[in-house]
Amino acid sequence: MSGAGRIAAGALAAAAAGPAIAALVPPGVLLSLLAQACIYAILALSVGVLARQNGMVSFGHAAMFGAGAYLAGIGLGAPGLLPAEAALPLAVLAMAAVCFGLGLIVVRVHGIAFAMLTLALGQACFEAANKARGVTGGADGLTVALPREIFGLPAATFQRAEGMFLIAWLAMVALAALAALLARSRFGLLTEAIRENEERARFLGYGTVLPRAAVFALSGGIAAAGGVLYVLYNGFVSPETVHWSVSGSALIMALLGGTRTVWGPLAGAAVYFLLREQLVEVTERWLGLLGILLVLVMVFLPDGLSGLPRRLRRRHGAEA
Amino acid sequence: MTIQILNGLVYGSLLLVLAAGLALIYGLRRVVNFGHGAFYMLGAYAGYTAAQAGGFWAGLAASAVVLALFGAVLDRLVFRALQDRDPLVTVIVTFGLLLVIEDAVQWIWGTEGRSMDAPALLAGSVALGGDAFPVYRLAVIAMAAALTAALLAWLHRSRAGLFVRAASLDPAITAVQGVNTDAVAMLVTALGAALAGVSGVIAAPFLSLSPAMGGQILVDCFVVVVVSGLGSLGGAALAALLLGQVQVLGAVLLPDIAALIPFLTMAAVLLWRPTGLAGKRL
Repeated sequence: MSGAGRIAAGALAAAAAGPAIAALVPPGVLLSLLAQACIYAILALSVGVLARQNGMVSFGHAAMFGAGAYLAGIGLGAPGLLPAEAALPLAVLAMAAVCFGLGLIVVRVHGIAFAMLTLALGQACFEAANKARGVTGGADGLTVALPREIFGLPAATFQRAEGMFLIAWLAMVALAALAALLARSRFGLLTEAIRENEERARFLGYGTVLPRAAVFALSGGIAAAGGVLYVLYNGFVSPETVHWSVSGSALIMALLGGTRTVWGPLAGAAVYFLLREQLVEVTERWLGLLGILLVLVMVFLPDGLSGLPRRLRRRHGAEA
Repeated sequence: MTIQILNGLVYGSLLLVLAAGLALIYGLRRVVNFGHGAFYMLGAYAGYTAAQAGGFWAGLAASAVVLALFGAVLDRLVFRALQDRDPLVTVIVTFGLLLVIEDAVQWIWGTEGRSMDAPALLAGSVALGGDAFPVYRLAVIAMAAALTAALLAWLHRSRAGLFVRAASLDPAITAVQGVNTDAVAMLVTALGAALAGVSGVIAAPFLSLSPAMGGQILVDCFVVVVVSGLGSLGGAALAALLLGQVQVLGAVLLPDIAALIPFLTMAAVLLWRPTGLAGKRL
């Protein structure tokens, strides 16, 4: 089977697993948690896409996630202006467009400086969300009332765990499949070449800024899609959503899972939420244990947890 | 107005001591230490406990010693082991460290806020243009100035300081000259951590202690270190004092945009005038 076929088959199988999980898990706290986990997994996916294709570590993705949520919330709050069916995709597209423009400037910065740049821009967005009371509701946040129906589905579907889990799961699988397909396309290979050696790619005659900015836009669009789902589910968004600690959590998920594979960050998000929710019943010290796990993974498993099977296989092969 | 300017100066002085440690560690180890805010918080709590037994000055000394040891161990076990890896790996490791320290502090001291008294010597307030201003805050400015002067003298007058400046300029050449750069880096990491701990104790009597106290000031420290281009302690001092004014005076004069200015300045520096972090070394 070709690579694209494998991705399609994997995505279909993963999509089919969604309803099965929803049927097996009793509705309640756990399912609500899974819905949140899928939404944050989309944010982690966006951080991972940027790291995988551009080799860039972002400490500011909560700003794109939050901006998507705010834009969708503001769009839903003015139903006379736009139908919800247009406002939601528009929020994602607008963020992708903004990130493309921003990307043209910021992708020239590399390494730690890029991490610090995203941190600065992210915190500027956090302060702006705090101050622009007229638009964002300031520190009190923005409460969003959903219209009665969106895309033919009753509003309650989006705000109940059973409904949102399925929607977020399918969105997560679709976005991951899109990222995987793009990664193995000509465009994906070109960005990987630039990541490995930008100067050489330029010598081969490729412009390097446009592809890198396009990856930044893709990453921003995915993060904004997560934000749109976030505001649909919670009916609320506040500056806390934009704070750099949220960016940090998303980065932890992405790096725990590993960014060599597109699906690594999704696995990382699963581990993060499992740790947070399961450990909290045994010990309150989940955050410290998460920190220790992060350090261990960074030092001993640079490919993250998703690189573990490959690593074990290689070691096993070497012994045999 | 005088009071606002003084308050800005107090916060700027605190930032200066903290940012000096951050810049020192970056100079030797090329590590942007996300754990620095957590060091500051840990130092404040360690000082708090020691101060309950022996008073403020004992707290200050204990915090410096504990954090210096912590920094030395961290450098030996983590920074040295990772010095040949991608610097981003070490950055993320310090980020993990931040989570561990914050959690450990919550474990040991709990989550409720605590307060620490200023030393009796510096209690009370003085009248300044009709307003009362706490003596302790004036002492913060003095302590920060003394620490900075001592640090400058050490860097520029002592043999160890010469090694530190040389090693942050070019570690390989410095090592070839027979300087044990690993030992220099360990000393500097210990010193940087001790400065963070000391600033935590200095902050404790006028900012209350909480496990979250490191988060905000860490980001402000990054602004100082990036905007000053890591070039010199003098640059960092100017940036820290300016940021103090923007934070306090700006919040009064330009409440809508004051909070944005530091981050936009930081972004602009990284984009257009990258020295230190992004461009040439120190």
